[in-house]
Amino acid sequence: MSEQTGKQLSKEEKDARFEAELLPVLDPLYNFAYRLTLDEDDANDLVQETYLKAYRFFDYFEQGTNAKAWLFRILKNSFINEFRKKSKQPAKVDYSEVEGYYNTDDVEGDSGVATTTDMRSESVQDLIGDEVASALNTLPVDFRTVIILCDLEGFTYEEMAKILDIPIGTVRSRLHRARNSLKEKLEKYAKTMGYNS
Amino acid sequence: MESKFTEMYQKEPAEENGNGCEQVINLLDLMVDGEASAEEQHFFNKHIEECVNCFENHQKQKLLKGLISGHLKRVIVPESLAQTIKAKIQETI
Ligand SMILES: [Zn+2]
Repeated sequence: MSEQTGKQLSKEEKDARFEAELLPVLDPLYNFAYRLTLDEDDANDLVQETYLKAYRFFDYFEQGTNAKAWLFRILKNSFINEFRKKSKQPAKVDYSEVEGYYNTDDVEGDSGVATTTDMRSESVQDLIGDEVASALNTLPVDFRTVIILCDLEGFTYEEMAKILDIPIGTVRSRLHRARNSLKEKLEKYAKTMGYNS
Repeated sequence: MESKFTEMYQKEPAEENGNGCEQVINLLDLMVDGEASAEEQHFFNKHIEECVNCFENHQKQKLLKGLISGHLKRVIVPESLAQTIKAKIQETI
């Protein structure tokens, strides 16, 4: 448990430590990347880029501190840089199209089974999930981001402020506006389905 | 002393006339996210015991958070990704 031995580590030791500390974050990190880019290939690239950057700066990472928040911050910054480059060109994809693609693709082998078995609670749960996902995906990326960080990944406001490089007050107000916007979209859906709140 | 007392006394009915609701609405996110202080929690819980509107708003806010945390499907990480990352790192000096 000795500290500050980072510089003396052999490459093998460094790699092992890197993998042990940072690879467990792969799943949430990939999910975050996907929710930002709404594209599986872009998410893949973004996650790879994030890990390579993290490796380059691994000596600056303090062992035992919040690896997840650290990686999320690197990924968010990479996304902003990429996004700026791409935003010079016309929008690459129509989000609703991607979401449709994703929904059918995601169910994969299970989809056939799901449609032949009758309305079990699981498929109802899926329907809700799909609806939540498409409502979320129509939100501006800044709004999507705070909702994912807070509600899906369970980061605190303080951690979110660090990941996003904004004051806590801004985290709060952004989250508030994001939720109002999401609420509006889901209420519209509930109405079209004939539900009244 | 007396003026302070009347000041406090005057504040109460004002709170019942909506000021409390406004404060409670501002605390909704903090409450569902577990970020409210003990004092804020106490104020909030006391208020929603007596205010139906704010009680319902709180239920809705919890529901909304639950929709994301409980129903949003996680995408599956491509199997090759971890290997690709490990390989790239090993190449890096
Ligand atoms: Zn109230």
